[in-house]
Amino acid sequence: MKHALTRRDFIRGTTLAVLGTAVGFPQESASPAKKSRVILIRHPDALDENSQFNEKVIRQMLDEAVMKLTDQGDPIAAFRKLVKAEDIVGIKSNVWSYLPTPPEVEKAVKLRLLDAGVKEENIGIDDHNVRTNPIFIKSTALINARPLRTHYLAGMSGCIKNYIMFDVSQPAHHPDNCADLGTLFNLPQVKGKTRLNILCVLTPQYYGRGPHNFNRRYVWNYKGLIVGQDPVAVDTIGLRLLMAKRRKELGPAQELPPVPKHIQLADTRYGIGTSDPAKIDLIKLGWTDGILI
Amino acid sequence: MIDFGPAIPKKILDWQATGRDMVYDRKTLFDYTDGGAEVYLAFDFKQAFVRKYKGPAQEEIALDIYDMGSPEEAYGIFSCDRQDPDAGIGQESEYGPGLLRFRQGRYFVSITAAGDEQKSEKAILELGRTVAPLLGPPGAPPAILKCLPENGLKNERTSYFHGVINLNNRFFVAGENILNLDARTDCVFAEYAPSATESAKLLFICYPDEGLAQAAYRSFCASYPPKGLPAGAAQAENRMWTMIRAKKRYVAVVFDAPSKEFAERLHSAVRYPQE
Repeated sequence: MKHALTRRDFIRGTTLAVLGTAVGFPQESASPAKKSRVILIRHPDALDENSQFNEKVIRQMLDEAVMKLTDQGDPIAAFRKLVKAEDIVGIKSNVWSYLPTPPEVEKAVKLRLLDAGVKEENIGIDDHNVRTNPIFIKSTALINARPLRTHYLAGMSGCIKNYIMFDVSQPAHHPDNCADLGTLFNLPQVKGKTRLNILCVLTPQYYGRGPHNFNRRYVWNYKGLIVGQDPVAVDTIGLRLLMAKRRKELGPAQELPPVPKHIQLADTRYGIGTSDPAKIDLIKLGWTDGILI
Repeated sequence: MIDFGPAIPKKILDWQATGRDMVYDRKTLFDYTDGGAEVYLAFDFKQAFVRKYKGPAQEEIALDIYDMGSPEEAYGIFSCDRQDPDAGIGQESEYGPGLLRFRQGRYFVSITAAGDEQKSEKAILELGRTVAPLLGPPGAPPAILKCLPENGLKNERTSYFHGVINLNNRFFVAGENILNLDARTDCVFAEYAPSATESAKLLFICYPDEGLAQAAYRSFCASYPPKGLPAGAAQAENRMWTMIRAKKRYVAVVFDAPSKEFAERLHSAVRYPQE
C-alpha cells in the first residue's frame, strides 16, 4: 500500500515517485496503453524587454504546440482535429487580477477556432460566470487556459483547479488541500468536453507570501506554454516545473508547494488523466535556456 | 470591526483611493481571497477591510486590514510568512519589494503592490505608517512561545498557528494530517542555530488533552516511512535526526538535528508549562 507523502520522501529523493504513482488512464485517450502527450514550448521573444507579451510569437507558439500535439502540418488542420465547425466552444480563462490568462493567449485560441470554422457567436471566453454564460451552458467543447502559479491551499493552481468555477460552491472543494478537484471534470457541464489544456508558463509564480499574494519577486519570465489534451498530465508537468524552480530559488526544503495532492488524485481517484511521468510523453520545443525540466 | 473608512486618508502622497472600500467576514472572505480564505479561517479571523489606491501611473496598491480577534492570532498570521527586514511599523513588521506586512494589537495588515515595486515603495510605507496608530494598543504574543528554549532561537523565524495548512506552508511535514492538528491545537514552529555548525527545527504543539497528544504521537511515529519512528527517533538518509516526545498534553518534534544528542538537548530545554 502506498504511504502518504512525508518530509522523509524529500530526503530520500522519492517525492516525485510518491506524487507520480498512478493506476488510472486518461479519460479521453483512445487507448489505455497510449501515453498522454504534453508539449512544452518556449520562445525567447514571447515577452519583450519590458515583459510585455508578444502576441505574434505567442500565436506561433500555440500553433506549433497544437500541430505537434495532433501530428498535423498546419495550425488550422491541427485545430480541426480538436473542434468541429459546428461546436459551441467555451474558452475557460482565469481573471485573477495579478496574473490572469494573457489576452494574447485567449486571442490566439479564438483566432484558430474561427479558422477551424467555428462561428464567432459560438465562441465564449469567461471565468467567474461560466455557470450562467449561455455559450458555456450550451457548449459542446471547452478549451482550458490559465497561468501556472503556486497556491497556499491546493499547492498549485493549474488546469485542474481552473474548472472550480463550474461548481456551485468553490469552498466545498477546499477541504484536505483541495484533494477532490478532479471531480470538477465529471460535472455534467464539463464531462468529456475538454479538447485542449493550455497551462501558461510565460510568467509563472513559484512562491507566495501568504494566501492570495502576488509579488513580482516570485514570478519569472519562463516564456513558455504547456499544452495537452490531458489536464492531469499537463498539471503534472507544471508541478515539476514549479518544484524545479522552488528547489533552485528556495532550496530543497521548500521544493514542494503545499501538497498538490489533487493532481495525483485526479488520476487515481477520478480517472480524468495520468499523473504518472512514465505515462506522459513530454515533447519539448523551442528555446531551452533555463528550461529546468 | 472598527469602520476604518473615515479614519484612513483617501490620499497618501500622490496616490488616491479608488473604488469602494470593502469589508469581508468569515462567510464572504472567499469572495476576496478564494481558497486563501481557509488560511485566515484556520485562525480566529473576524473581518477584513480592503481599500485600493492608484498612483500617478495608474499602478495599484492594496491595503488589507485583518481583524484576527486577538493579538495572539494577529501574531500568528504575521509570523507564518515572515522573511523580509523589519520596517519599523506597528508592533512587528517586515518590508520587501512590493510587500509590507505588520501586526498591531489584534490586527494584521498587508499592503501589496500590483505593479512596479519601486514606484510604490514610498506610498506603501507611508500608508503603513499612517494606518498603524489607528489600530489601537499593542498586544502580547501567544504564551506558548515562552515554552521555547532560548539558546540559538531565531525569533524572526518563529511561527504560531493552529492547523496543518500553515504547518505545511511553513515546513512541509506530510501530505496527510499525521499530527492531527486542528483549530483546537496551538502550534509553534521554531528554528535554532546555536552555533555556526549546528541547526535544527522544533515543532511544539499543545493539544486540548493528554489523550489527543498521545494519539498524535503514535500517529506520527507510525506514519514516518519507511519504518516509522520506532523509538521516537530516527536518522534519515541525509544523516539528520528527527525526534518526537510527548508529555501530558504536549508534543514536541525536533527535525533536521545534526545528532541524536543535539535533538535530545533541544527536547530537554523545552519549558513545559506547570499544570
